[in-house]
Amino acid sequence: MKIDVDYNRCTGHGLCELEAADVFEVGKDGLVQVLIDHPGEEHRQGIEAAIEICPTAALSLRD
Amino acid sequence: MTQATPSVSTYASGTADRPYDDEDISSREFWSTDMFEREKTFARLRSRDTITWHPTPADQIFEHPDDYGFWAITQYDDLVEVTKRHEDFLSGPGILMENLPAEFIEGAQSFIGMDPPRHARLRRLVASAFTPKQMRRINEMISRNAKSAVENLVAKAEANGGEADFVAECAGLMPMNNINDMMDVPDGDREEAANQTAIAMSWSDPEMVGHTKEEVINSLMTANGYCHELAVRLAGERRENPGNDLISSMAQAEIDGERLTDHEIGAFFVLLTVAGNDTTRQSTSHGLKALTDFPDQRAWLLEDLEGRMATAVEELVRWATPIATFRRTASRDMEFRGRQITAGDKVVMFYSSANRDERRIERAHELDLSRKPNPHITFGGGGIHHCLGNQLARTQLGAMFTELLTQAPAITAGEPELTPSNFFNIVKRMPAYPAGR
Repeated sequence: MKIDVDYNRCTGHGLCELEAADVFEVGKDGLVQVLIDHPGEEHRQGIEAAIEICPTAALSLRD
Repeated sequence: MTQATPSVSTYASGTADRPYDDEDISSREFWSTDMFEREKTFARLRSRDTITWHPTPADQIFEHPDDYGFWAITQYDDLVEVTKRHEDFLSGPGILMENLPAEFIEGAQSFIGMDPPRHARLRRLVASAFTPKQMRRINEMISRNAKSAVENLVAKAEANGGEADFVAECAGLMPMNNINDMMDVPDGDREEAANQTAIAMSWSDPEMVGHTKEEVINSLMTANGYCHELAVRLAGERRENPGNDLISSMAQAEIDGERLTDHEIGAFFVLLTVAGNDTTRQSTSHGLKALTDFPDQRAWLLEDLEGRMATAVEELVRWATPIATFRRTASRDMEFRGRQITAGDKVVMFYSSANRDERRIERAHELDLSRKPNPHITFGGGGIHHCLGNQLARTQLGAMFTELLTQAPAITAGEPELTPSNFFNIVKRMPAYPAGR
């Protein structure tokens, strides 16, 4: 899996951190950092929840 | 640097020939009741199953001849829709349903009253300070501030026959200390800034701001003036000696190679001061009243404070809905729920109403601390302006009610005194009895 971030949309709300703490973290610049380059299947549910909850729809997943 | 979209300049809204809905949600009289009374009107409006057009309040501070009214968004789904469509429903022209002097608004809104692209550039400067992970890092500070606020309340009550004002001696203290610790504002200054913005947010309350138009405007501008002077002074100090605080972030920030102007820093500070102080303290006060009025709910929570607090906090913020309304401005003509919106029309979202919409929230008029899921929209309907402080608010409220119910499990609240407001759901004073009554 590969996570795509639309950095024009990301405003660092950080709700993704709640859903998949191992995968997402908002940096000092207010933009999300994807902590795992190619997350394994065990992260899929959390990542999909993060995609759903992101208020600016900045996240998407590529298989 | 000035923002690209026009600031608060467009007071014109609607046309003279558009018929009004019969229900009054405009007058100061309506906003001087309480949330339960207002909900009776909102329920009737929701049942229209559309958006409704209402007159501009007749007794505003600042009247404009071309301001004919606003659209009321009272249903949950419509509120979420308007929230998400930030290009159709702009924040730049102002996010308050009331007309206030442009000078005050421009000095107070900062990025909450901005549209892309500048909105994101400002918000990102401080976003990392409010994330879930950051809340965990400052959890000790938040717990400490909750503990000392409750200790203060208990001490004040003990010295006063068992009674103390919950707002001044507890609810107002915790969020003030948290946001000001994050900004590293010195003692003394932080109390005065909170006091000034509380006055400003009480623009409909003559006890707080005075009676005449001149007195009211003076109160608003004094509040802004105090906060701007303080913010600019602190920012100057932090440029010399930067810290890890929010003011250091603002002071050192560069957007497109340019620093923030003093005016921008001042407005940023006012926004964080108001948002940090005047929201959470309302949820805290309404929350304590709810725990008093529904002792079976409190008993449920007390059975497992640690395990049940997070769920309970969600219901308490739904119940309290500290921000009652936010306004947007239509960027173009468009049809919405079968009505014809014209470019420039004010569109007001009623969070108090949406949080009682039984289309989305079952038994919405019941306080149910075990409610799960709880799709309330207290922090907004999503979108780019979703509440920056939502995690801070939740963490604070969890800490506060844990402390209250640990230090004073029998605590009760008396009748709250409310400040009339079409913006916040304000508790001005409320007697509390930590040992019960």
